[in-house]
Amino acid sequence: MMVLAAAPGNHPLTPVCGDQRLSLLVLNFYYCAFTLDSLVSSLIAGVITVAIGLAVAARVRSGVPGKLQMVLEFFLGYARGLVKESVAEDAGFIFPLAATIGMYIAIANWIDFFPLGFSPWIEPANSDLNQTLAMAVLVFVLVQAYSIRVLGLRGYLRRFTKPFELNWVVRAAFIPLNIIEEIVKPVTLSLRLFGNLFAGLLMVYLLTLLPFFVAWFPVAAWKFFDVFFVGTIQAFIFMLLTIIYFGMAREGLEEELHARAAADHRMDDAAGAAITS
Amino acid sequence: MNHAIAIAGALIGAGLALGGGAIGAAIGDGLAGNATIQGVSRQPEAQGRLQVIMFLIIGLVEAMYFINLALGFYFVTSVAQGVH
Repeated sequence: MMVLAAAPGNHPLTPVCGDQRLSLLVLNFYYCAFTLDSLVSSLIAGVITVAIGLAVAARVRSGVPGKLQMVLEFFLGYARGLVKESVAEDAGFIFPLAATIGMYIAIANWIDFFPLGFSPWIEPANSDLNQTLAMAVLVFVLVQAYSIRVLGLRGYLRRFTKPFELNWVVRAAFIPLNIIEEIVKPVTLSLRLFGNLFAGLLMVYLLTLLPFFVAWFPVAAWKFFDVFFVGTIQAFIFMLLTIIYFGMAREGLEEELHARAAADHRMDDAAGAAITS
Repeated sequence: MNHAIAIAGALIGAGLALGGGAIGAAIGDGLAGNATIQGVSRQPEAQGRLQVIMFLIIGLVEAMYFINLALGFYFVTSVAQGVH
């Protein structure tokens, strides 16, 4: 059990107002303390993200773009295309939100490549569940607010009776399923990112238990794979799912518009018939 | 004694979860690769786009396994540390 006692994932807690916690079976939820290491590392990642953004924006030019500007333009153009494709043309705040999330997570994951073991205060920011859950809950709340704003309260509630083409008995039976589906979204969104990053840390930790003259190669290989493949893909998936959830928040809108257009059409026909007769 | 039983149970449970998760992730990866190969053999010029989608799906599929791994490890450590 010595192996497990010093394992990664034990974020030291800094209490703010005493040792307030909620014990559930084997898990303790501390609600009056924060994990300083995640705060520091996410601050570093955030500062780097903002610095890159500002640096590129200050040196932006319309002629031959620099390398960084080209990469950023490609990424932003791709994200904009995704938002346009799966949400809407007029999707105001969604594109900056999703692009910021994607860029921040990618940079926070790439920081993981440097050997972070030298300081107890710096860990890959996303290997703390608090961090990923905070982002996922923010996305969840914004999706709900956006859904209510676009569909109206009635359309928002109607979305929970989802297979719209069935009769109302079946649709009523689907309500609990739809509610569960909605609540599960932030849980899986946060656990996916957390699980990947945490498993990466765990793997590095287990590999360093090998003697050092063997360990360097698997550690280096794993870090390359974990950081640049898994980290990038997970950042992209988080961004993509954010956009897709916003797209799903509009469900029923097109249908309603179609129904209204059809009704208008019918009324036009009726009016035309009345005029001609 | 109770603590030892709890640790044994936690380790067995984590092992079961990891085994099942590995089976599921492997099947999912296989299905994604299968569909990609079929798509490429039908339309070789679509290989670039299909590969991007395949890696995306693999990321989604393997995430489930990593969630298993992380949560299993979490439970085992918290039991081992004697948190009741």
